[in-house]
Amino acid sequence: MRVLDALNHIAEYDAPDLAYRWFCGSKMCGSCAIRMNGREVLACWEAAVPDMTIEPLRNLPVIRDLVVDRTPYERRVVAFEPWLERSAPYLGFPEPLLHKDIKNASKALDCISCMACYSACPVIRLGDLTDFAGPAPLVQLGQTALDPRNDPAKVRRALERSGIFNCVSCYKCEEVCPAGIPIVSQVIEPLKAKAAELLPAMATHPRVFRSIVASRGRIDPGALVLHIQGWRALTRIPRLFRMLFRGKINPLRTLVGTRTGAANAAKRVLSRNDAPT
Amino acid sequence: MELVQLESATCTGARELRAIDSIGFYTLNVRILALAEKQQLPLLTICNTCTLNVLDAHAAFVSDNALARDVNARLSVEGLSYSGRTRISHFLWMLYEDIGEDELRRRVVQPLAGLTVAAFYGCHITRPPSRYGFVDSRNNIALEKLAVILGCEPIDYSGRTECCGFHTAAHDERISLKLSGQHIASAKANGAKTMVTPCPLCHTILDGFQREIEKDSGVDLNMPILHLPQLVGLALGMTPEELGVDQHIIPFPPLPSIKTLPA
Amino acid sequence: MRNLNTDVAVVGGGAAGCYAALKLREKGIHPLIICKGWVGKSGASLFAGNLVVSGRLLGNTAQQAADTAEFLIKYHNQFLIDQNWARSCGQWIEQTYYPELEAAGLYFRRDDAGNVVTSPGRIRSIAANVQGNSGVPFMDLRRKQIIKAGIPHLEETVATALLQRGDGSVGGVFALDYLNGEYIVVHAKAVILATGYSDRLHARSTGTREMSADGIAMAWRVGAAMSNLEMQWWHTNDVAHPPSWQRMQIYPNPMLGSENSARMVNSQGEEFFNQQVDDPLAFGPYTVQLKALTRQVHAGKARYDGGYFAGFDHCRADEVETYTTYAKAYKQLGLQFPQELVETAVTAHYRQGGVDIDNKTMRTSVAGLYVAGGLGGHSNGLIALATYDGNVVADGVANDLPTLGNGGILEQQIDVEHKRLEGILAVQGDLKPVGLKEALRKVMWDKVGVEKDNNYEWLDAIDLANMIDACELIIQASIERRESRGPFMRRDFPDTDNTHWLAANIMIKTDNGFRFEQRPYELPFFQPEFATRNNMDVAW
Repeated sequence: MRVLDALNHIAEYDAPDLAYRWFCGSKMCGSCAIRMNGREVLACWEAAVPDMTIEPLRNLPVIRDLVVDRTPYERRVVAFEPWLERSAPYLGFPEPLLHKDIKNASKALDCISCMACYSACPVIRLGDLTDFAGPAPLVQLGQTALDPRNDPAKVRRALERSGIFNCVSCYKCEEVCPAGIPIVSQVIEPLKAKAAELLPAMATHPRVFRSIVASRGRIDPGALVLHIQGWRALTRIPRLFRMLFRGKINPLRTLVGTRTGAANAAKRVLSRNDAPT
Repeated sequence: MELVQLESATCTGARELRAIDSIGFYTLNVRILALAEKQQLPLLTICNTCTLNVLDAHAAFVSDNALARDVNARLSVEGLSYSGRTRISHFLWMLYEDIGEDELRRRVVQPLAGLTVAAFYGCHITRPPSRYGFVDSRNNIALEKLAVILGCEPIDYSGRTECCGFHTAAHDERISLKLSGQHIASAKANGAKTMVTPCPLCHTILDGFQREIEKDSGVDLNMPILHLPQLVGLALGMTPEELGVDQHIIPFPPLPSIKTLPA
Repeated sequence: MRNLNTDVAVVGGGAAGCYAALKLREKGIHPLIICKGWVGKSGASLFAGNLVVSGRLLGNTAQQAADTAEFLIKYHNQFLIDQNWARSCGQWIEQTYYPELEAAGLYFRRDDAGNVVTSPGRIRSIAANVQGNSGVPFMDLRRKQIIKAGIPHLEETVATALLQRGDGSVGGVFALDYLNGEYIVVHAKAVILATGYSDRLHARSTGTREMSADGIAMAWRVGAAMSNLEMQWWHTNDVAHPPSWQRMQIYPNPMLGSENSARMVNSQGEEFFNQQVDDPLAFGPYTVQLKALTRQVHAGKARYDGGYFAGFDHCRADEVETYTTYAKAYKQLGLQFPQELVETAVTAHYRQGGVDIDNKTMRTSVAGLYVAGGLGGHSNGLIALATYDGNVVADGVANDLPTLGNGGILEQQIDVEHKRLEGILAVQGDLKPVGLKEALRKVMWDKVGVEKDNNYEWLDAIDLANMIDACELIIQASIERRESRGPFMRRDFPDTDNTHWLAANIMIKTDNGFRFEQRPYELPFFQPEFATRNNMDVAW
């Protein structure tokens, strides 16, 4: 018995006014996502278990019972203008296109926008703390932003509003995605790479990180924070002293330290001219 | 068991490198695997994110011939090459797979009786599901089982397999302060005297940022956080000082059952 | 009660409705979409598994082009189709449909060498991203096009009645936003019904929750004639057990990038249908398959509701999984893939019949009322045909628009519909037939006095009223067609009778009920080669 059958049974025999959604019943429309025992599932695609707890999705306003208001998600997606704008003229069907060049977008195209990932995301759970768009809108963005046919200027505009570097890489989204989309590795990370390419200022953190590894072989947290936060790092002085006192950090190493073998290797690997700088 | 440090091993790139320079990421990680392979040794890490990075690089290497050729060509400059044979392990897995529960239990000389412990897995040792096979990462109980072997008492709480927020902390600490704040508070509310994590990155936030977390949430937490090797070391009779427990921001209070170095 | 004004009300947010709205907008006409679920996500278009290649596209030979046309006319429609219409539709698909979709960004699956991946054989198909899931990105694209074009769309809002002017022409739609309990009257110069198929009249169906024959019921109530309502397609490979897992299908279609496709075996393990062996022509082998199954049922080796199996045990897993989603049902049921087969059963699929239309304009027999997509009685569906309808209806409505829209909707009609809906909420007591009575009564039981908010159950009851009306029409039409033809099988009339029944079975509303008329089809390109033959001996 599916969870959906259980809900149907409840609506039929116990609570006729139970509000819940479903359209297709076969993992395509994405309307029946709920939380079962604290985990996001599609009611149509999950076996019911004894004593299960059913809740509406999180991170979206509840309209009633299991029906949530998807407007916040829709608004995010529309703000990305998630349609293709070509920088080159369309050449006629079939146009030249290799699967390997669109393989990440192709994964994103499996999205049924069920909001399971949106509900599971801990950063979205923090509300408006950051401008992070959340996994579901980013997957929608990935469908066109990772499409080589799309105009980079358009992708840049969308990425500016994505808050993409506020993804904590916790993989909670991947864990619950009923479509099996590798959301972090094949959508969010490629989008970060796009952002690093099109909006270098947005990607200061990863670029500084890379340059530190490239020059020293390993990361030095002090150097990282100093370079990324600049003068803002000064506001962390109490922590700095605490760490210094406990012997957790070594300012000397931050200033001049390297590990020769690792540094040489990293320099060699990361200084190739086919890699971004 | 003998530990051999790979002197020239580099950073595995955390999340940053893999996001913006995938070939650099693969090359650095496969290089580490190649260094181990050259010495015919399994690779041990003490970090969740490093573990996932080398696992991902290994998986990409063995499934993508073109990538494998490319990476090996880059490594050939320093006479290295990888053939896909290095076994990858994390300290937590090593305890189970290479030492074994019975042997570990036998070696516990200082059972940590009375120590209620909140296990904090973090993310990259239990997700993504494609690497670790959990349909629901909350079903991972490796740390709790270990805690019982070490004589302490694991507690259940909402943060067990949640995220500490480390990977955004270098540019914006707010997410990590909020997320980790919830987890520590939940551990405390459920009776934990300490938390233990198999990931030094989680430790950085949970311990290193805890005073800021307290300031942010307005709640006095004062929760000592141990690295997994430290918890094991204490039960195996090592002193807090030997284990560097005294270097933490939140002091680990002396427990009656734990001896300290004679002055 | 909210009043809205628009040029054209489009009821339905699937392939036909969306495309009609987009084309109208391009012409400077203002459409408004009323969608019972979500635009692009709740109708049958979502289920489009793959997309057929027509004409000379993608290196089709002249023979393949001809085969595709033959398939559409014989296997897909059993000759109950206007062949000239089919021809112009095929040309449009070749010249406009694919280029337009690709230009807008739809990704037709390529291999690493850049070739569009096709299924093999005489009739080929391609996929939007993945076979079995093509409808998802296809309709996602449409949804975004609707948003981009700024076309207003009312979602989770059910159209409950067509509203007429004094002269009988249709000039609006009565609708209910069932989540908020708000009545909406849409005033329009013309109404396009694009509510899709009516699969959900049957206990087992492949359709979505939406497909409850609303269009048939609403159009009939304002006097629109029906055509071939009895012609219902069946899908032979829906998962049989557990019974609740219906809508998980094992598609027998030829697979992209493979010479193999699903095979069917009876309870003794004997193969009785294999696409490549038994049916190299029919790309969507539903009727051929159904007839093969019928033979098994007659022989006592299978049942319509189970006792036979389908699967890919003759294929490699990667052969199936590279370009299709076909393994998903097996995995969800915990079966070893591809070694294990799954027990399957028959479900209701498309209905070929529907509202009778003039296929050059998509006009119905009622002024101001137009139809597009699966609801029409002019052809059995494919997402491409439904889209073509959207194109034709936009032209048809645009041409007629200057002559439409004189006079307002009769206020009394609004009152009547309002009272009917309130009555549904308040209903208690007996209804017939028995099966529906039970369902309806359960839904209704606790509804008296319940507030009208967030009320999916109210929607169920409204659906049910439509279903009862539509079922009656379908039963009457089925009694009228005194022959067997393709998937329409009668025990009392086993022969396909081209002498008497190569004709549309038109059902016309009269003052005291209805009457039937026949309208023969012209056969300019393909002709059946016999007058009368046992349907089971006919390939199509």
